Amino acid sequence: MQSATLNEEFLSPYEAYIEGLFSRCAENSPNFGVTTEQFKTSVKNTLSRFLQASTEPASETETLEFLNLLQADDLFMALACANGNERAWWEFDHQHRAHLERIARHLAKTEADAQEVIECVYVELYGTRVVNGERVSKFATYSGRGSLRGWLRTVIWHALVDLHRASHEEVSLDEMTETVGEGMAHASFAEPPPGGEGEVLDQIARNRYRRVTLLAIQGAFASLEDHEKLLLLYYHVEQLKLREIARLVENEASPLRGSFQRRLQSREKNAGGRIHESTIMRWLEKSYSKVLALFKSELESKHGLTDAEIEICIELATQDLAGDSLFQNLTG
Amino acid sequence: MPLGLRLSCGRRVKMENTGKRSAEELKIQELLGAFLVSRENLKSSAAETSYHLDEDSLAVFAEGNLSERESLPVVSHLVDCGFCRHKTAELVRLNLDFAGADQRIPVEDREPSKISEVLSGLLAKIFGTTDEAVFAHQEKESDEKTAEDDEQNEETK
Repeated sequence: MQSATLNEEFLSPYEAYIEGLFSRCAENSPNFGVTTEQFKTSVKNTLSRFLQASTEPASETETLEFLNLLQADDLFMALACANGNERAWWEFDHQHRAHLERIARHLAKTEADAQEVIECVYVELYGTRVVNGERVSKFATYSGRGSLRGWLRTVIWHALVDLHRASHEEVSLDEMTETVGEGMAHASFAEPPPGGEGEVLDQIARNRYRRVTLLAIQGAFASLEDHEKLLLLYYHVEQLKLREIARLVENEASPLRGSFQRRLQSREKNAGGRIHESTIMRWLEKSYSKVLALFKSELESKHGLTDAEIEICIELATQDLAGDSLFQNLTG
Repeated sequence: MPLGLRLSCGRRVKMENTGKRSAEELKIQELLGAFLVSRENLKSSAAETSYHLDEDSLAVFAEGNLSERESLPVVSHLVDCGFCRHKTAELVRLNLDFAGADQRIPVEDREPSKISEVLSGLLAKIFGTTDEAVFAHQEKESDEKTAEDDEQNEETK
């Protein structure tokens, strides 16, 4: 991590670029009343976060690219609104209110909820809390790294979750998320008790295969790289559709996209073009192949299983899936 | 999609298949899917991670705008934190639902209304009082107006 002083030193070569951004914004919105100092402080804070995100020093090209991607006009408006500038608020309201209302109506169950959320968000954006004599506006947390509308969608989404929580006090979102599937987790194997000696031995063998299958799948998943894990989690746990994942990596600078494309560079045609659902499917398939290879290798090397036994493991696991019993002892 | 509180308790049973894959690969796909759902259901995601991503980072990630440099710790966090991952998934859906709605509306060049006009009604509704605490300048205006009215009333009398 670079210290604050080092950052200040590192940031100085970019002063001129940041001033250029400011001039452009001030020209586009001359009545917003944002000072050069305020704008520079905000951009520098964001830039510091960018630099401190990794221990590797950022190159000048990388840093300039980052600055170039900042939504400077959106940030300028947010800073002006945080200051309480009348013109900026008017433009914000004019440009974004209809969008905010559409999102709120889309997410909320009732029109009343949608209205309540819009009202709460406006109040939060303006800020009613005063710290050290200064009003704290939510706008001050917007960095300009993404679009203002994307950020507003997140704010609305959170506000609705809070509203929902408030009306369902007995169950928080965390609790709801945590308790799903708990019944399944604590259930015992729903299998008939074994009969004769042969059956007992058979059952012991089966249980051994089940145990090593579970360990091998856990190990295989743990061996994947983070971007592969996240892709699989989005697809299987969050149930994102292929087109939704494609949307997530639509931006050419998307880190997930970058990670996959680097790994598959030789085979990926049109690396800079649009990502289609078929590309996501291909990435998933690559991940499954890797998991299969790791799974087999784990069973062979760690548990000394033969190819035939590995086949039994996969077969048993597939049969168990029909009854949902395979992962019931995941905690055990 | 009401409220975006879709809970991921189901399993993706029917997987897409391009037709080129072996039965073994399809089985491991299903096995992995079931494993991930079970693993997730057992985790207490909020308790596992010491922090959660802020709204700004969530929004930037969901838009796919996070730089690679910043993304490494974020991706790593999302693998472990189901709470934040669930939020990003919902935001991705929301962004897709509103794709193309991000065009800016050109602002007409006319006199802006006061910020108080936008907010004062809301504050009064929420706090049940007028917005005195926040809009001191407006309080002054209204005081002046009241004073003027009082003066007029006095004159009439």
